[in-house]
Amino acid sequence: MFIAGASLVTPGRAPSIEEMFVATTQAADETEGAMCLMPEDVDAPSDAVDDRSNVVSGFSRTEQQLAIPKSSNVEGGDLPPVRMVVDPYPSFNGVAVDTTNDLVMMSDTNRKSLLLYDRTVGSPTSKDMATPRQQIMGPDSGVGFVAGVAMDPQHRELFTVNNDVEDRLVVFDYDARGNVKPKRLLYVPHQSWGIAFAPKRDVMALSVQTPNMFVVFKREAKKFDAPIRSVRGAKTQMADPHGIYFDETHNEVVVANHGNFRPGELITSYTAYDARESRQERAGGDKLDENARGRFLPSSVTVFDGDANGDVAPLRVIQGPLSQIDWPMGVAVDEAHDEIIVANNGDNSILVFPRTASGDVPPKRAIRGPLTGVKGPMGVAIAKDEIYVANFGDHTALVFPRLAGGNVRPRRIIRNAPAGRETSGFGNPYAVAYDTKRQEILVPN
Amino acid sequence: MTRLSRTTHGIAYDTTNDEIIAPNPLAAAVVIFRGGAVGEEAPVRTIQGARTGLSRPETVAVDERNDEIVVGDPGDRRVLVYRRTANGDAAPIRTIQGPTTKLLQIVGVAVDPIRNVLVVSTYSRLPGGVTGLLMFGRTDQGDVAPKRVITGPKTGITRLRQIALDPETGKIYVAAINNEYLPPYNIDKPRAGLDPDVELPSPWNTGSEGFIGVWDDVADDGDVPPRSLVKGRSTGIVHPAGVTFNAKHGEVIAPDAVWNGLFTFLKPELFKATAGTQ
Repeated sequence: MFIAGASLVTPGRAPSIEEMFVATTQAADETEGAMCLMPEDVDAPSDAVDDRSNVVSGFSRTEQQLAIPKSSNVEGGDLPPVRMVVDPYPSFNGVAVDTTNDLVMMSDTNRKSLLLYDRTVGSPTSKDMATPRQQIMGPDSGVGFVAGVAMDPQHRELFTVNNDVEDRLVVFDYDARGNVKPKRLLYVPHQSWGIAFAPKRDVMALSVQTPNMFVVFKREAKKFDAPIRSVRGAKTQMADPHGIYFDETHNEVVVANHGNFRPGELITSYTAYDARESRQERAGGDKLDENARGRFLPSSVTVFDGDANGDVAPLRVIQGPLSQIDWPMGVAVDEAHDEIIVANNGDNSILVFPRTASGDVPPKRAIRGPLTGVKGPMGVAIAKDEIYVANFGDHTALVFPRLAGGNVRPRRIIRNAPAGRETSGFGNPYAVAYDTKRQEILVPN
Repeated sequence: MTRLSRTTHGIAYDTTNDEIIAPNPLAAAVVIFRGGAVGEEAPVRTIQGARTGLSRPETVAVDERNDEIVVGDPGDRRVLVYRRTANGDAAPIRTIQGPTTKLLQIVGVAVDPIRNVLVVSTYSRLPGGVTGLLMFGRTDQGDVAPKRVITGPKTGITRLRQIALDPETGKIYVAAINNEYLPPYNIDKPRAGLDPDVELPSPWNTGSEGFIGVWDDVADDGDVPPRSLVKGRSTGIVHPAGVTFNAKHGEVIAPDAVWNGLFTFLKPELFKATAGTQ
């Protein structure tokens, strides 16, 4: 049974939401799904959120008969849900590999945690969840809607950045586990997504979606420290950047862009949560540019000089139909073999380009097809001649040989849920609509 | 191909025309899909361009009776109304904007074509700024004052997001997220003015509790409590940001980003023609 669901509908002691939230993941081993369905005697569409829905994921669910009232307590409104969709398992997002200590770390957007595994964890055939060495999770950790991750074996520090809401990067010791406070906390621009750690420079670069920029902080930056430089502006050709990689061998920064673009004139404050400044105020009355407009640009990979600063053009851009780049999320560079690896979320593939590729060029290899298991890839990393892929559309991460291409099976599968468990696909859901025709619930992320 | 972004804070379904409408704030666009769209499918129409007046569209609604799409855009603090079939660089047919409107951070819009009401949810910490619901005439335009304003401590709203409106009853469903948010980030002086030792809590760890509240779009005005609530530990919702309903089956539906979950509540008494109460 779904432990959180049972807790939610049990009167009496009211555990804090944080306690319940942590409990859901701790109890995940014992859970079988995340749906509480209505009692049979209540006249309502018990199949309203059924397998036919392609919007609300159909879990392998277990029906639990609960003492649910037929209507609410109007005065208090403290009534249990008749149905809920909550995925009790983690969903992988960012991935980083430490070859010094043979560790792999992934961020978990769904249950809001960091998971550390042995680097060689996983199996090509096992149906079981992989056991993490440690998990950092809980309200004290500051780990929320996390995305990018990085590891620094020299200083034994773990990094992750919250993409939304929390607007902070948190740093932990290698041995951290459970609900621990971060060793350091850095407030970062809203919608920071990727982290690129550059150990020789001792800096980290963060991609930031809304202002189409990346910023560079000292590794030890904390609290309200400002970035030491930023790359932003029309010349950069960045548009809704996500993945970022700092290639210190060639002194380049590689950025993956979705292609959603607004010019600077349309960008007010670096947060979605405040209206203290409108475009009119920023522009100053009649200076408002009414010709400014948003655009859809083709998804791209932009490559910058490692010392870039300000509004500068990229050294190279990979973009166009031949490139097949489509909603690129994570990006990595195989500095030894001169290749750029892209988690191509839009078509469930991994693309590999020559490091110096430019223009509308096809990838030299693509891992794509039903045998690969690549589904909604978010993070990608390369280490010891293996490519690590963190899936968001499935409860797995995958490991391929470096030269894998085509429709091939992964060498290892790292499961964060028992095989067969579907993901809800939720990532910070902020809106909903009801499709009366199909009896489906529409939830954008 | 979908022209969606990973930042979609609004969505509407058009029952009459079987279409899905969503804003893309990162590309200053509104995209419209066929109702059965699946996978990487292109929108059937896209509203985007300099004439559209879109800056950062955050929320959308559809007026099926009058064939209009309503967009809330906090980037310019305005509400824009387009013909339902608008496509490309199309100008709005009406715009509500200006200091008299009290529009600030617009996060929800809804239309009642029967009572001719346009409802906007807005919030701000600006001095004098309204956090609550603004009720305009459906065809209002320009710098007009709202006809009614629901705001104040009795509402229980400290911050709100998406709203939904049932024209059959005139009830407004409000996602009162009631969490905190951080001040804007200035890249040169992050969080300037704050004590350097201050610890900003996670916006989720506020101690406050969100809820789904229900008001009447004509009868309610001022500092009035909701007529109905979904709130409390049993509900599972903590900081709900979205809300919709299934009137036929008497259900109120809300996602919650704390849980990354979706919760459905049975509230047949709120609807005029709920299957289970006939």
